[in-house]
Amino acid sequence: MIELLSSFSKFTGIYAFMNSPWGWPTAESIHFLGLSLLIGCVGVFDLRMLGVGRGINYLQMHKLVKIGVFGYCLNLTTGIMFLTTAPDQYLFNPAFQTKLLFMLIAGLNMFWFYASYSGQVKATEATTSVAEPAKIIAMLSLLCWMAVIICGRLITYFRPPYHWCWFC
Amino acid sequence: METLARIEVTALSLWFRESGLAFFGSLTLHSLAMALVVGINLAIAFRLLGIVPSFALKPLMRFYQIHWIAVILIFLSGLALLLAYPAKALTNPVFYAKFAMLSVGLIIASKLQNLIRTRSENELNSKTVKLVALTSIVVWVGTITTGRFLAYTNSVLLASRFF
Repeated sequence: MIELLSSFSKFTGIYAFMNSPWGWPTAESIHFLGLSLLIGCVGVFDLRMLGVGRGINYLQMHKLVKIGVFGYCLNLTTGIMFLTTAPDQYLFNPAFQTKLLFMLIAGLNMFWFYASYSGQVKATEATTSVAEPAKIIAMLSLLCWMAVIICGRLITYFRPPYHWCWFC
Repeated sequence: METLARIEVTALSLWFRESGLAFFGSLTLHSLAMALVVGINLAIAFRLLGIVPSFALKPLMRFYQIHWIAVILIFLSGLALLLAYPAKALTNPVFYAKFAMLSVGLIIASKLQNLIRTRSENELNSKTVKLVALTSIVVWVGTITTGRFLAYTNSVLLASRFF
């Protein structure tokens, strides 16, 4: 796996870019920008579903989510750049594994929203509260993205803990 | 440098530096609050620029309340990180660039908040407001970039090692 990711990184030029003097911090800056777009657009819509900003039309505000998805794409791209450049720093790192788990939960939560409550929320009057399950989805989404940020910080703060990670 | 070295040996600085939870907690809180502040500002700027379709602006005032709470958290956690490694930040010009960008960003946020509160939706559709919103985006991207580069550009980690 490590060899495969490393080969991909070297073949595509990602490795050379990331090991250039400003490659890694540049990718990190873009990664954080993507995260801010995600929090600012998806997170703000989640807060709206939780009752913040009463009076803002749900359908109109939902258009912000597209920008949040763009932010997610920036995160995914730069995330792949980090992973393929230093796979051993990530693959065996429980913080990274936990981050992926929360991203998966956030994805399933999003699927739940679009499969069940999206239409209902968009049709809700701006001055009315959304249904309780939609609020739970919004809260879960916010918690998941916060957990993703926390795990993201943990990745660089705690290096791969080979000595204690029983599931590595 | 001597003053910075003195700060580094205070009990509070040592605690922030050596207690894993205190340093990690400050770092995480700083990231969470920064993502929230930058995110809310970007979302409002996109709305003012017309990138997203128009939704009522006045109710956005509630988001500003969350925004300013997050700003307080940024400053508190930033202060904790500064106390842990004062020389690392204060000897690095990038720190001052970040601080300047953050300050300008917050001044713009305050200005936009005031405009949203006092002006009508039509008045907010002016070129001047759009220019302020665009400046806001540029400044917040600059704040993020300088913030990330801060971790890679320091020449001094601890001043106390020189004494």
